[in-house]
Amino acid sequence: MGFVNFLVYLAIMIGIFAIMSLSLNLQYGFTGLANFGQVAFFCLGAYTTTIITLTFGLPFIIGLIGAMVVAGVFGYLIAIPTANLKEDYWAIVTLAAAEIVRIFFLNEGWVVGGGPYRGGAFGVGDIPQPFKSHFSAQTYPFFYLGIVLVCLLITYLIINKITDAPFGRVVKSIREGNDHLAQALGKDVRRFRLKVMATGGVFGGMAGCLWAHYYGFISPSQFLPLVTFIVWAMVIVGGKGNNKGAILGTIVITLFYNSTRFLKDYIPINEITLASLRMVAIGVLIVVVMLFMNEGILKEKKKIY
Amino acid sequence: MSVLQVILNSIIRASELALLSLGLTIVYDILKFANFAHTEYAVVGAYFAFILNVTLGLPIFFSAILAAIATGIFAILIDRVVFKKMRNANGIIVMVTSLGVAIALRNTVRAIWGASPKSYNVPLQAPIVTKYFRITPLQIWIIAVGAAAMVAFYILLHYTRLGKAMRAASDNPDLAQASGIATEKIVTAVWFIAISFASLGGILIGMETYLLPYMGFAIIIPVFCAAIMGGLGNPYGAMLGALVLGFAENFGLYINFGKLFNLGGLLHITHRALFIPTGYKPAISFVILIVVLLLRPRGILGKKEER
Repeated sequence: MGFVNFLVYLAIMIGIFAIMSLSLNLQYGFTGLANFGQVAFFCLGAYTTTIITLTFGLPFIIGLIGAMVVAGVFGYLIAIPTANLKEDYWAIVTLAAAEIVRIFFLNEGWVVGGGPYRGGAFGVGDIPQPFKSHFSAQTYPFFYLGIVLVCLLITYLIINKITDAPFGRVVKSIREGNDHLAQALGKDVRRFRLKVMATGGVFGGMAGCLWAHYYGFISPSQFLPLVTFIVWAMVIVGGKGNNKGAILGTIVITLFYNSTRFLKDYIPINEITLASLRMVAIGVLIVVVMLFMNEGILKEKKKIY
Repeated sequence: MSVLQVILNSIIRASELALLSLGLTIVYDILKFANFAHTEYAVVGAYFAFILNVTLGLPIFFSAILAAIATGIFAILIDRVVFKKMRNANGIIVMVTSLGVAIALRNTVRAIWGASPKSYNVPLQAPIVTKYFRITPLQIWIIAVGAAAMVAFYILLHYTRLGKAMRAASDNPDLAQASGIATEKIVTAVWFIAISFASLGGILIGMETYLLPYMGFAIIIPVFCAAIMGGLGNPYGAMLGALVLGFAENFGLYINFGKLFNLGGLLHITHRALFIPTGYKPAISFVILIVVLLLRPRGILGKKEER
């Protein structure tokens, strides 16, 4: 049973992070917006659903919608001052914004209801799991996996629809580094960027919500920039600008990340060194892919119209 | 705390930031990408100095200089292996690659030295205390090194052949190359200068507090903010940005905004003292960055650029 449980855990992680990488792929892969603060959506989604379902006792579905709305609005807002800027500025502004979101939840324990040893750095536990009472402890993970996969399917279909639509062609023209092209066709580049960031936020928030209800416990230390970098590795390795690639990249990186955990059973190495070496490998992997196979495992399908 | 003390603290912070943001901005100027690994090189430099100073027992002064040189050479090596192959790539591609380099460097440092704080073997020195302020000899050093580096950079840029070539390559790389300036040599020199300055900054920060693998990430936002505020690619802008940020961070926490709202007692909007909580210190540089970008998208001293 232990092994099956582990596989279900892996599948749930892959599902949640695939939603994250599809969101980042829309922003970076298709539109060329280097969002180095993807974790902010994740964090906002997780905290929003926690507040809705735990503090106000509302159902999971309201929490999910709330998480998507709040993260989407945040994506829109963060794009307003930056929408006309070059990609270098995007990267640092989003990176900083994500840190501010984390610092906010670190300092303001009251947003989750407060109380002794609760909120802020202590985190929040007892986040309700949807329909938990209908299932036994053994079967519940399978049901939750079902929820995650339905959410992933919806995300995939919507983002695929968006990127195949005329909207996708416009954002690709923005990505190609030349606003003039899109402008010449009468497209308002700024508005497209805002829409992409808002959509990216909606799905990032969804992933955050699923994460919070799966673990049942969240704290600011789960939303470090590290999460953003791992999602970046997924998109780059899998193939930017290709939605199937983003999912494949998520599978590859998640399996790599989790399989190296067992290394410490075979070689004498302490936890911190192992965790560091795993991240060294992810960093090197990003560099190697960027250098030698720029387009990732699954290349973007370039259509000729 | 007296106002004089806050001013002094601002200048110390500005000196540290300037050492780092200057390098970031000149790499951007010549290579046209935002190097997210920049502050990680500072950490590598700080740990190099740790080897020399603590493991080998050299005095900190020589350790710092040797470490700065070694890190400069290390940056050139990384350039040869990674960035050199991407000279003609889009800036965003190189930027993402530099993120990979940053992750790898930061975690290599953590794998070797662990996550616990380390300190240099420096004799404790009594601070100079007056009625209005106190300053440690180390802090005087920080200001002196910061100022000396800025002056040295000015002389380099305006009174040497290398500086002239750097300015030419920055203005128009193709024309510079056509005029017989070896662009690759300039790139090597720029990496060396940028990263040795950054290591000095990292070492000084490490001496004032302690060494941590994450210290590079902790300063990346203010360093980028300083460089962007002054206009990415403009060395004097980076110095100005560092100064603005140093003052903003320290005065932001010092000023009682309650008094400000009441216009110094003229109004009575609020009776409470309103300070920015210290937990939000990292947010100050971000808010300033957003305001600057909204008002002047190319920074205070930003170059005009056609896109």
